[in-house]
Amino acid sequence: MPTVCNKTRSCISVLLPLLFLLGAGLLAQTDQTTPSTEAAGVRAMHVLGLEGVKRNIHGTLTAGSGGLDFTAGGAHGTVAIASIQDLFTAQDSHQVGGKVLTVAKMGVPYGGGRVISLFSHEKLDSLTVEYRDANGGLHGVVFTMPLGQATVLKKQLVDLGAHASIPVASQPQKQDGDAKQ
Amino acid sequence: MKPTQTLRLLTPARISGLALLFCVLSIGLASRGFAAEQTEMTTSPWAIQVEPVQADEGQLPPDFSMAIYEDLIAQLTKSEKFQQVFRSGDKEAEGVPNLLILHMTLQNFERGNQTTRAVTTVAGATKVQVHLKVATRDGNPVVEKDVQGTVRIFGENLKATFALAKDIATTLRNASLPAPAKGAGQ
Repeated sequence: MPTVCNKTRSCISVLLPLLFLLGAGLLAQTDQTTPSTEAAGVRAMHVLGLEGVKRNIHGTLTAGSGGLDFTAGGAHGTVAIASIQDLFTAQDSHQVGGKVLTVAKMGVPYGGGRVISLFSHEKLDSLTVEYRDANGGLHGVVFTMPLGQATVLKKQLVDLGAHASIPVASQPQKQDGDAKQ
Repeated sequence: MKPTQTLRLLTPARISGLALLFCVLSIGLASRGFAAEQTEMTTSPWAIQVEPVQADEGQLPPDFSMAIYEDLIAQLTKSEKFQQVFRSGDKEAEGVPNLLILHMTLQNFERGNQTTRAVTTVAGATKVQVHLKVATRDGNPVVEKDVQGTVRIFGENLKATFALAKDIATTLRNASLPAPAKGAGQ
């Protein structure tokens, strides 16, 4: 019987911190999916493309008369409205928790990590901006942000004069996988 | 300081520490020199201009298309195989002799799902396959190959574009490019 007790204790000691991490992840997810009403900017992640800004860094994305502005700590990048060739929005889903939770899930016995994966995902919007630099060179920038924010940002940019080959839909359609709007 | 005092400071532990430091510095300098030599050996006289992936409308999401393009430019710049790496439409490339143009045509795209990958480990892979063609300005192909980028278990869907770009950069780094003819491609 002591062996069974020890096993149960060790299982509990492994699962408790994981459940805590999962709970924290889900709370963060709930916070992120709540559409921000602030006109100041949208919390977004720079996936790639902005010169002088690190990849996969979180910051604030703002559409203004100066262009699309991304600020994250000391890093700062701007895309001028006039240089924007096209704007695309899409939806995707990803696992929350990053590498820490991925490693933690691998350590859960009896395939429990896979069960956690079923619940530790969130949907997000992506905004792709195609623009040309002063020499005419084509650039592409990809941002991800909470659900529903990309269309709002695209609309703001189009109102400011940015070119978009696909007009902004009045109601954003929620689709699984890729949803070009 | 007297010479006897200097000798006293040189304990066996200090001598072995200094010897270790000397070894580490020597290895570092030697590997740096080797890397520089290798770079010199692999740098070709060509410059390259990267064009975005050509695909039928709706076949490749724009974020994937731009991610492939940006990742490829980053990987080619890092490889130091080419004198210069130009973006599509760059006016500076017009006056550059010995310019190669990199074209990619989409062959297959399968969008997977990160959650499916995490739960099953065998399903939900994201795959992107392109036909790579590197040609001179007058259209003579120099390199042609089908290249695929895949993300199978860990990572987000866009990681497939990084794998693809890395594979293309490796293909080009290992490719034996012909010597540019006089006035070729000008």
